[in-house]
Amino acid sequence: MSQNYAIASADLGVRYNLRFTRKTTVRTSVANFVLRRPPERFWALRHVTFELSHGESLAVIGPNGAGKSTLLQVLAGIMRPSEGVVDVRGQVSGLLGLGVGFDLDLSGTENILLGGAFLGLPDGKVQELLPSIVDFADLGAFIDAPLKTYSSGMQARLGFSIATAVNPDILLLDEVLATGDANFRTKSKARVIELVKAAKGVVLVTHDMEWVREYCNRAILLEKGRVVLEGSPEEVVELHLERTAAAAAARQAEAIAKGLDPAALAGGRARGGRR
Amino acid sequence: MLPFRAMSSGDAAATIRQSPGGPSFLTLLRQGIADIVSRRRLIRYLVQADMKKRGTDTVLGNLWWILDPLLQLVVYVIFISIISRRPAPDYPLFIFAAIVPWKWFSAVVTDASGSVVRAEKLIRQIAFPKIVLPLSIATAEVVGFLWSLVPLGVLLLLHPARLSIMLVWFPVIAFVQFVFTVAVAIFVAATNVFFRDLGNALGHVLRLWWFLSPGLYSINSLESTNFVQEHPIIGDLFGINPFAVLFEAYRAVLYGTPDGALGTAHPPDLIALGVLLVASLLFLALCITFFKRVEPEFAKVL
Repeated sequence: MSQNYAIASADLGVRYNLRFTRKTTVRTSVANFVLRRPPERFWALRHVTFELSHGESLAVIGPNGAGKSTLLQVLAGIMRPSEGVVDVRGQVSGLLGLGVGFDLDLSGTENILLGGAFLGLPDGKVQELLPSIVDFADLGAFIDAPLKTYSSGMQARLGFSIATAVNPDILLLDEVLATGDANFRTKSKARVIELVKAAKGVVLVTHDMEWVREYCNRAILLEKGRVVLEGSPEEVVELHLERTAAAAAARQAEAIAKGLDPAALAGGRARGGRR
Repeated sequence: MLPFRAMSSGDAAATIRQSPGGPSFLTLLRQGIADIVSRRRLIRYLVQADMKKRGTDTVLGNLWWILDPLLQLVVYVIFISIISRRPAPDYPLFIFAAIVPWKWFSAVVTDASGSVVRAEKLIRQIAFPKIVLPLSIATAEVVGFLWSLVPLGVLLLLHPARLSIMLVWFPVIAFVQFVFTVAVAIFVAATNVFFRDLGNALGHVLRLWWFLSPGLYSINSLESTNFVQEHPIIGDLFGINPFAVLFEAYRAVLYGTPDGALGTAHPPDLIALGVLLVASLLFLALCITFFKRVEPEFAKVL
């Protein structure tokens, strides 16, 4: 391990206890306890080891449900790993998921202040950043309107502006590059590139392979919570596309074996191909 | 290995180091208190946001803070006048001294139980100390409680013979109740994440608790009833019911002795109140620790 890393993760694992995940009632819990059923467990991530240096931009790619978002949640400190160690050096800011509205009844400005407090920024800093956040979000008169009147694109713009304005050491982005209109997309790409250039670490979850090839230094392919490949964006993207195609073909073959209706097959192939 | 630290303050060199394993009781308690102290401003914003939203949807707005306890008083006065042959003298004041504090408690507990679950989206997107959620609700409800003191004050002024200097004890009793309330709020907020049934059961538990507490009656009058003489356990329950202590204390300073004689306001039972305060502080420490212990699971369960 080099000494100058921004993020180091060693044998990271996140386990979900399905017993508590949604729809648990006292009745089923008591039944489980009385019958001594072992807890149903599920590893969303396991044996994930990687390192990110300052100034690097890491893409995390993989099919849906591979654990990409869970990885970002761990890096952001939202979730604690069940095993292994994660060391994140520096201030982290993240935009995980679209439309980070803090309070839909409050105005855009009030949401910026509230967001700053949620992120743990000192009050003076938020006041100082406020004009630039408002400026970047470019919402016009809507900045003083309640958040519930915003479109989802506008909410995402405000969220992106808040998350990136704090000038974090490490920026975590989950599928946010595709937000807003074309104009804002260009602006947000420029902002991310700026942050990458300013020797900050970026971890990005995306399905936009063009972006990965063009702007990331490294990439990780996750499948079913395991790292399949870590390496240069070109080879990782290539492998990912190969494996998606292979998975789609396998599904098709399986469907044919089961004697399914050919119309359903066409749909399955289209879904696989787009990824 | 450094203990786990959530995305904290603005200092640039903040380091997050995460590893599994359970910190000790005192570490958790210290972390919980540090969370609260370092996020005072967040709690303030959340309280302000709550204030702003309340009443904006209704015609009468904030007036409901005064109307709510008054209407509840009217309901109980009508109900008791029908079923009871001989209610205590100045009965409205007798029960209002308990209704107002109880409304405060039940509002906090009901609202706090859903506080973490409601913030589900935020919890999955940002790391922040979740304990601010039930705390901001408990704090916001203090304002509601202060508003409900307006009708209580008016009712007291209508009975000038019952006014006394003993009212200085009122804030002390309210403080003890606040400590107990915050502890319960933190507890239900965390538990409801894992057992959503709590939300359904809570309303009934609170109602039963209210009727088993000496709010509409005095402890003395209860001990003489047949039911309690046949089931002594009901009587014993009062020994461990914080609201038996609190209601008796409120009534001592606002109303006087339970027999209703005028000018009998007296200091509350300070020993009982002191014991309750110490027990509540311990319970609060336990609840903060419990909350901190299960907090890392919230993002997975929600």
